[in-house]
Amino acid sequence: MVDVAMVGAGQTKFGNHALGLKGMWSEAVEKAFSSVDNDCSPIMVEEAFIGSIAFGGSQLGNTAALLTEHSGMDGVSVRRVENACASSGFALRDAWMTIKSGQADIVVAGGIEKMNDLSAERKRYWLGVSGDTEWERLAGLTFPGTYALTARRYFHEFDSTHDDLVHVSVKNHMHGLDNEMAHLRKDISFEKASSGAMVADPLTLYDCCPTSDGASAVILVADHLAHQFTDTPIWVKGSGAGSDKLALHDRPSLTQLRATQLASQKAYSLANLQPNQIDLAEVHDCFTIAEVLATEDLGFAGRGEGGLFARNGYGRRNEGDVTINASGGLKSKGHPLGATGTGQAVEVFKQLRHQVESTRQVRDAEVGLTHNVGGSGATCAVHIFGRER
Amino acid sequence: MPIAKYSLEDDVFATSVYGVEWAGPDGDRLTIALLLLQSETPSTIQIESFVETLDYTPSAPVSSIIESTTDWKVDSEGKFHLITSKSSPIVGISKGKNISKWPDISSQKSFDEEQKKAINEAWKKEISGVSQGAYVSQSQHMLAMPSRLGLHAQEDASVLLWPPRQLNDEGERIAPASNKLEKSATILTWTKLSALGAPSEFSLRAPLLGGVSTVLVEFSSGPKGVFMLADDEERIPSIDQTVHFEVRRLYGQDELIHYGLKAVLI
Repeated sequence: MVDVAMVGAGQTKFGNHALGLKGMWSEAVEKAFSSVDNDCSPIMVEEAFIGSIAFGGSQLGNTAALLTEHSGMDGVSVRRVENACASSGFALRDAWMTIKSGQADIVVAGGIEKMNDLSAERKRYWLGVSGDTEWERLAGLTFPGTYALTARRYFHEFDSTHDDLVHVSVKNHMHGLDNEMAHLRKDISFEKASSGAMVADPLTLYDCCPTSDGASAVILVADHLAHQFTDTPIWVKGSGAGSDKLALHDRPSLTQLRATQLASQKAYSLANLQPNQIDLAEVHDCFTIAEVLATEDLGFAGRGEGGLFARNGYGRRNEGDVTINASGGLKSKGHPLGATGTGQAVEVFKQLRHQVESTRQVRDAEVGLTHNVGGSGATCAVHIFGRER
Repeated sequence: MPIAKYSLEDDVFATSVYGVEWAGPDGDRLTIALLLLQSETPSTIQIESFVETLDYTPSAPVSSIIESTTDWKVDSEGKFHLITSKSSPIVGISKGKNISKWPDISSQKSFDEEQKKAINEAWKKEISGVSQGAYVSQSQHMLAMPSRLGLHAQEDASVLLWPPRQLNDEGERIAPASNKLEKSATILTWTKLSALGAPSEFSLRAPLLGGVSTVLVEFSSGPKGVFMLADDEERIPSIDQTVHFEVRRLYGQDELIHYGLKAVLI
């Protein structure tokens, strides 16, 4: 079966943008194509998958057609992919499957979200529509609430306290400090991160990622074209996806994400790799507790040991076996919902090609993983990338 | 919040613990009526005049809410009348349709008059709002009402399921609810969302109440669920604590009040 390579990747800075949807998307596409070493242009694209929640309701229908129209892909077969915060992780998987199946050779996957020009109340409405609206939301829960329920239960079941979450926050802000694409580029102390304003007890402001504007895009090609575009393609070695009950209360465990476990098992199996062979992982730390769970569900830490993993600083850049969220993660780099998944792939693409800022390069990075979760864990896409085919 | 009850001859009356002055932050005549009905021996009851006196329109028929929540049967020829005062949130079960004098049930708990005004105003504003919160269709509200208000549970392969589900893991349709969950459950975890973190439905009231508290509980028969804490609960919940459930206002939207069960700390 055909192998798939990533030959280009680009993104806008995540944060508060003056640009609208069309402007952000076209910038991400421009950057992705300009990152390709040899001639490659949007008109060559055969299929495009764009992840977005269409936050705010702006261009809720036919979002993708509007965006490709303004990014040199006029006429391309395109669709919006919606799986909450995992939208572009699934767009990436759809693009990968399209090439694997032989239906196309050059495919764009990307994502976009414009979040920060809404009133606070409208923003909270849109942030809540991806959860279980019938039961969870009417019980007062938004995602900070569901992850807070998970965090408190995790502390109850395992040897862990809120301090472990503070370690995650401090690490990710440290990682994002030198990332020019990051939303929140500021170092924070343990003391400061320990004393944030309460958002959803026990989660404070420093446990929560920001809401960001942003767009990201990657270019995937079939193996026979890879070296036409670059001498250093990044190979998609594995792709896996899974789902789970939408509502937290319908799941057997409150402290594990089954969707992550299912997705990562498939991705590891396809890549023929083990967790201890991953050099860097961009994991979905929408809330700090989510990173703790991810380190366990992805196999970097044992069950109940994610807190200890964070406490011991095992995910810090170049300090442990695996660097977790070298970009700063959602916590520091930002979380423009639909753009996050392919934004993670942009980071891995650059890390594996040793093209990030020198201060934040993961040493000898050969294999990277992305982990993109929708909502409180209803959907998840995991991808594994490598310099070697 | 327990109701305050008073008996006079053959009639029984109830108010919130705040007496005839206020039904509480998420209570009203209907929530008081449901607690009163649950506390009395079930029979048949007429509700026409009661329904006419409600301040706001419930999202489901009052008769359906009563029959989902209690064992009483609503009947236009019923043995009793559900009655209420137009001027105060006091509710009675009477053999007669009219009451000449309402009893003065003294309050068991004081409240801040300014807080009461602010919360009542917030409800008024919230109810007149148009679908700013999550949209749950009217048909879905109606279909799920026995489960939402009466904890009716389905059974599949000897396992109780709640909230209601459609097909099981074998792709077979699960039979309609035929069981009732217990009236109490145990807290597995909880949170209190600040006004900033609360859903938009609660954006007006959350700041007044200092946030929104939610518990995730497990029933001893197996199912789990999430519930807001009832009233203006100031106590902090704890894992393994027991709660029971009472009907309260959940939120208002499009001129309708949506009701559901909330948890009361024991």
